[in-house]
Amino acid sequence: MYTASKAAVATLVLALVAAASVRAQGVNGSITATATVQSPITVAGAQNLAFGNVFPGVAKTVAYSDATNGGRFDVTGQAGTAVTYSFALPTNLTSSGNNLPIGSWTGYLNGANSTSGGSGITPSATPAGASLSAGGTLYFFVGATVTPANNLPAGSYTGTVTLTVSY
Amino acid sequence: MRGLRYAFVLTATAFMPLAGQRPLTVTGIQSLTFATLLPGMPSVVSRTDAVKSGRFDLGGPHDAQGEVTFTLPSVLTGPAGATLPLSFGGSDAGYSQSQNIGSQVGFDPKQPFLITFSGQGRGSVFLGATARPAPTQRAGSYTGTITLNLTAFP
Repeated sequence: MYTASKAAVATLVLALVAAASVRAQGVNGSITATATVQSPITVAGAQNLAFGNVFPGVAKTVAYSDATNGGRFDVTGQAGTAVTYSFALPTNLTSSGNNLPIGSWTGYLNGANSTSGGSGITPSATPAGASLSAGGTLYFFVGATVTPANNLPAGSYTGTVTLTVSY
Repeated sequence: MRGLRYAFVLTATAFMPLAGQRPLTVTGIQSLTFATLLPGMPSVVSRTDAVKSGRFDLGGPHDAQGEVTFTLPSVLTGPAGATLPLSFGGSDAGYSQSQNIGSQVGFDPKQPFLITFSGQGRGSVFLGATARPAPTQRAGSYTGTITLNLTAFP
């Protein structure tokens, strides 16, 4: 009888332990969280579009390929990634309220800092597409023509050309 | 002898809940994916986003209750040890007994949450979060591990 009671108690304890282990049962599983951060785009006005001296009544053109006077923007970003670009172009250069018309814009874009091996573009406000090079660079070259009126007052005329690039 | 017999009966009763019930399981089904981020621009993934939200499928005794807790990273780790801050809002986790992303009960993934398994012993947890890349965030791929811990109450 004594032995049977001991066995009963022992078994009961085992049962309680078993029940407790069931209560503590737990499992887990995992997933990953992932993100890819792209390089930010930078646009630098690398070289001004410079017409130098112009004379009343004489139009002057600077070609985009003019290494000294052509305008140039240097762009960096995520290598090999497509971008959209557009220009904000002035219709006049100004000086003390006087206008010097500017137009006939020409351009060229290339993954390398060169006006060969890329493709010609016509700078405009209409968004267009391009791709950053494998090195994450893109170069825009800009040219234009100014048309001074016969009675254009002398002075220093300026305007701003803006290039916007986005992913 | 009679005492011994009672003991066996009690033992059998104690173990009965285990018999014929689904085992507890947690399966990571879908990663929490932010895709492409730009430096300085926070990105939010909703727990109801079928493509980007994280998902765990749970299994256990039908109609039983369990407690869900998470082990959440505060950052994702990227190139050369760079870190990308990650945060979880008070309703960024959701539980669906029917395993339907469209019918979730939101809860705070930073707090324990009591769930009830379906009649088939199933359920799913969906998870969203916010990533906040710094303006100077280094470009590259970032990853982290999210663990769901499930404890059952038989």
